[in-house]
Amino acid sequence: MKIGLISPYAWDVPGGVQAHIRDLAYHYLDQGHEISVLAPASDESSIVENFVVSAGRPVAIPYNGAVARVLFGPVAASRVRQWVAGGDFDVLHLHEPAIPSLSLLACSIAEGPLVGTFHAAAPRQKVTFAIAPFLEPVIEKLRARIAVSEIARETLRIHLDTDAVVIPNGISADFYQRAEANPAWSRELTIGFIGRFSEPRKGLNILLEALPKIALVLPDVRLLIAGPGDGMEAMESVNPALRSRIRFLGRIDDDAKASFLKSVSVYVAPNTGGESFGIILTEAMASGVPIVASDIPAFSQLLEDGKYGLLFENENSSDLADKIIRVLKDQDLAQRYSQLGRDHAARFDWNQVGDEIMNVYLHARGEDEKVTLLSEARPWSRLFTRAEEE
Amino acid sequence: MEMPVFVIPIIILFVIWYLSFSATRLDRLHQRVETSWANLDAILQRRASLALELTHFPETDPAANLLLTSAAHHARAADISERSEAESALTGALLLLRQESWLVAKYPDLFEELDQLTERLRVGIALHVEGVSAARARRSKLIYRVFRLAGKAPLPVKYAFEDDSLVEVQR
Repeated sequence: MKIGLISPYAWDVPGGVQAHIRDLAYHYLDQGHEISVLAPASDESSIVENFVVSAGRPVAIPYNGAVARVLFGPVAASRVRQWVAGGDFDVLHLHEPAIPSLSLLACSIAEGPLVGTFHAAAPRQKVTFAIAPFLEPVIEKLRARIAVSEIARETLRIHLDTDAVVIPNGISADFYQRAEANPAWSRELTIGFIGRFSEPRKGLNILLEALPKIALVLPDVRLLIAGPGDGMEAMESVNPALRSRIRFLGRIDDDAKASFLKSVSVYVAPNTGGESFGIILTEAMASGVPIVASDIPAFSQLLEDGKYGLLFENENSSDLADKIIRVLKDQDLAQRYSQLGRDHAARFDWNQVGDEIMNVYLHARGEDEKVTLLSEARPWSRLFTRAEEE
Repeated sequence: MEMPVFVIPIIILFVIWYLSFSATRLDRLHQRVETSWANLDAILQRRASLALELTHFPETDPAANLLLTSAAHHARAADISERSEAESALTGALLLLRQESWLVAKYPDLFEELDQLTERLRVGIALHVEGVSAARARRSKLIYRVFRLAGKAPLPVKYAFEDDSLVEVQR
């Protein structure tokens, strides 16, 4: 099958959606499908994957508490048109088609077996209400809609009044299961945190506030923080006596992340909101580290209300400290979460998720159908092309 | 208030454009329903023939055989209004067999295919139902009824498949 994937966000900036598309592309390539990915890119030379086509330089806009690098406009539209026309795709899989970027452009330009995946979970936004009437006829063209979680599905229902099939994000469970612990990071009583910690919604400050209380009970506790950002700035609020217990590792790659998760004794996700899935939690589960996470809807759903990890009351650092102490002190409890998590992670493995998405592709596509440009179907365009041919 | 004369053709053009735009939207929804129904139908047919294959086992008792055979034939022969009922009956019959773990262990390939079909059905039904309700909702709007934008296309049939019992087949 020839599959076209579109990323709305810049390919050379790390992000959940881009990672999802990349892994999905590799998964289907392994299965023998043909893949082409269209994405914005700030620096085309940085693209290592040969199946990725750049659509041009993105622009930065604030979105959902972060900066999104998206791409639109007439030049981008013509790039999309070219790519679709030349691709001869059996299925076009658009990611985040409700965001003003390449996916939305493709959705308005193309026709046929179109599938859309909605990643974001956002509270009711006035701006979406304002553009919904314009968005609806475009989004309506999608033959099938996928939401990555129940929360994303609910967002879609509120904003665009359409239902979706829920298929979670995928991970390579095996990769995280087989990773080796890094001796420099693995010591007893180590708390792990990964994320862009300078963003308030990632909740690092709540974890830092919880630290004094944990240190009272467990003086040897250590905190390892990985992810891009300025560590010194984040440390300012911390009691100087505790600073020696905190270590910033900076941005780490996937291999380092896998061994990070293998090394630490507990993984903490204190995010305060704005999450729709929580891929890092599935990765943590796969590697077998016990999890303490805030009880925001996405995490409660993923951990099935605490079955696969301890939940603490969102933004309550005292409760967080209690839960961390519980996991660190109770070996049996930690062991149990570790085992349960590893079993549960298989549900998110690409083998499972890839098959589910393929099912949706098969359903979205009529027999021998191809993705075409919308303009090809218009009578006057047909007239024009005929004139050109003659 | 006096309107300049040139406004009138613009309004007429806009109305024509809007009607054609609306008709295209509905047409696309109909096409979506047709595609999803064709795919769903193919899977249901495959399941019925798989059910008939299962009746050839020497191990299944005559009563189960009869139940399965009649359910499968029924499902194949039913027209669209009776289809969901017939398919639900087949689901029930397959569920009985699926629960016999020794039988499943003996014919792993057939039952694995059944599980895969069940999974595809689950997705297919969800997508089809969604498409049907979208098309019906659109057709019920005033402008579509007044200008008869649906043309002669038949109203998409709601397919009340029992989703829950399907999931059980898999477990």
